[in-house]
Amino acid sequence: MKEITKKIQEIAARLFAEDKIDIFLAWAQQGEHEFHTNSYVARSAEDVKNIVFNEYSIYNVSNSLLKFRDSQERIGIAVKGCDSRGIVRLLEDLQIKRDRLYIVGIPCPGLKDPLAAARNYGGFSRKEEEGLAWKCLDCIQPNPVIYDELVGTEQTPRQQGDRFAKVKELEQMSADERYKFWEDTISSCIRCYACRQVCVACDCRTCIFDEMKPQWVGRENSTSDNMMYHLVKHAHMAGRCIECGECERVCPVNIPLMLLNKKLIQDVGLLYGGPEAGMQYVEGSKPPLSVYRENDPDDFL
Amino acid sequence: MKVLSKDKLSTALNKLSDSAEVFVPMQKGKQSGYFTWKSFEEGQDELMLEALNVYQSPKNAVFPQTERIYGIASQGVEVNIDKTYEDTSANIIFGARGCDVKGIMAMDLAFLTKGYEDSLYKARRSANTIIANACYEPGPNCFCNAMEVNCVEPAGADVILHDVGDGYGWEVKSDKGEAVTALLADILEEKEVKLPAIKPFIQNVDYSGVAEKLKDMFDHPLWDKLAEPCVNCGMCTYVCPSCYCFDIQVKMWGEQGYRFRTWDSCMFEEYSREAGGGNPRGASKERFRQRFLHKLQFFKERYGTPLCTGCGRCMIVCPTDINIVRIIDAVKEAEINA
Repeated sequence: MKEITKKIQEIAARLFAEDKIDIFLAWAQQGEHEFHTNSYVARSAEDVKNIVFNEYSIYNVSNSLLKFRDSQERIGIAVKGCDSRGIVRLLEDLQIKRDRLYIVGIPCPGLKDPLAAARNYGGFSRKEEEGLAWKCLDCIQPNPVIYDELVGTEQTPRQQGDRFAKVKELEQMSADERYKFWEDTISSCIRCYACRQVCVACDCRTCIFDEMKPQWVGRENSTSDNMMYHLVKHAHMAGRCIECGECERVCPVNIPLMLLNKKLIQDVGLLYGGPEAGMQYVEGSKPPLSVYRENDPDDFL
Repeated sequence: MKVLSKDKLSTALNKLSDSAEVFVPMQKGKQSGYFTWKSFEEGQDELMLEALNVYQSPKNAVFPQTERIYGIASQGVEVNIDKTYEDTSANIIFGARGCDVKGIMAMDLAFLTKGYEDSLYKARRSANTIIANACYEPGPNCFCNAMEVNCVEPAGADVILHDVGDGYGWEVKSDKGEAVTALLADILEEKEVKLPAIKPFIQNVDYSGVAEKLKDMFDHPLWDKLAEPCVNCGMCTYVCPSCYCFDIQVKMWGEQGYRFRTWDSCMFEEYSREAGGGNPRGASKERFRQRFLHKLQFFKERYGTPLCTGCGRCMIVCPTDINIVRIIDAVKEAEINA
């Protein structure tokens, strides 16, 4: 990983020197421990030395691009497989132009969750295992799908067995059992909206949950309002979730959010087929459920 | 000293639960926080009194995330309040650490002093007893000592528990404390105990002069840099034991409904959005700055103590590793160009 860090730094330094970029998005270690690694914006050649790619560089930096969608900076960005799918989503949604980006792809060996490490270090509760983050164990796309330059060697997907096994387990339950399952998990939601904020696919300028006139979803911390929030948010992710798993990773109350996303990924696949969200970039292409045609063969519209 | 033997802990909690809701630190499935002892399921849940702390603070017990204020019944143009919801039923927080006790003390200042009384909060708090759990072994992220907390003798506690191995030394601090002690008269034993020595703090935080210095730092460029990674979720404010901001909203179904309040977060864009559409804190950085100025400057100016309690929760849970200790350090080190 030190090799990769060095190469990213070299590329970033070169891009600054050649005046090809104004900023470079990657990761940096902010505190004394390695798990204090998070998103970072290098603004000049001097900042480049702070960039790292270590075993905690798990944050999906494509999300950071949203902060720059309205400005003009030319952006260098280092991405893992999952992050690169986020970039494809932003390109498809016309949130950022391809020619503003110089993408450095990193085939990802699988990383650890800095939040799990922080929890273990903090000593509040029982120690958690600190192996590869579960989202990395479920990874189907460790290699970047879009890049200008690739750093490191290709990796094989780590996902094993039936990708939708847990979804099928839930599908086997009776409607009442399933309702109970979601009631139990979603009632613990504290509505901090971290799952939305770290989601690269959540790129709406005004989110439905922030609308006040009218207010579409109630703000009570109650099972019904919480369910409304999660159902609407995740239904909106159908065909858009790039499976980076950040929502579930950051959730402070451990709601299994990727189960909802996986169910939608499975169903969108069955209904529409085609490549999954963010897997390939074709200029002008749109994900399922985002095209409106008056001559739609279905008559429900 | 009176001692509550650890093997009589559940007997004591059962006894207290006869006349009050007792909130105890618990690992409940995947949730870590304060839950009622009545909801404790043997074999599934785990009492976390021995742990350093739990992720959800006990503020829910006196300031629930969502609570109803009054019920509304309308008839034509007439609107009537048909019910109010002040909750005066007894509740006990059992085993709160000093940092979390300070969180409640800070809310007392905000909700009960300076000529303003929040009746909902007052009702709950009047019926609330705090049994604190003295902290002799600060954790790696703890810095309550820098935030004016005495972790062994927290101010505001009605009873303080001191872990002495096979039992808890039971130190009564107030009339409310006497009242709960009376409930446990035949469970508590009189014993000679030796209180443990407090271990040193792992982290050194120097808050001195920070509030004063911040007065001149509202427009300091350091906020741009510090706020850059923040994604403006509200996690830090909701796990915080002292963040007390709320919003008041209404729910109506036809002619029936109610007004309620629910925690709100200065991290949200809509929190500071005005009725006319303007927003004085429209930018992410402005909201970020507000949170830390409120914690470290504004509250100190108005009430004489910082609004941070040094519990370290926000720095553990933050998805982008924002760390209030590093912010305090950065403020200390910052140069101010007049």
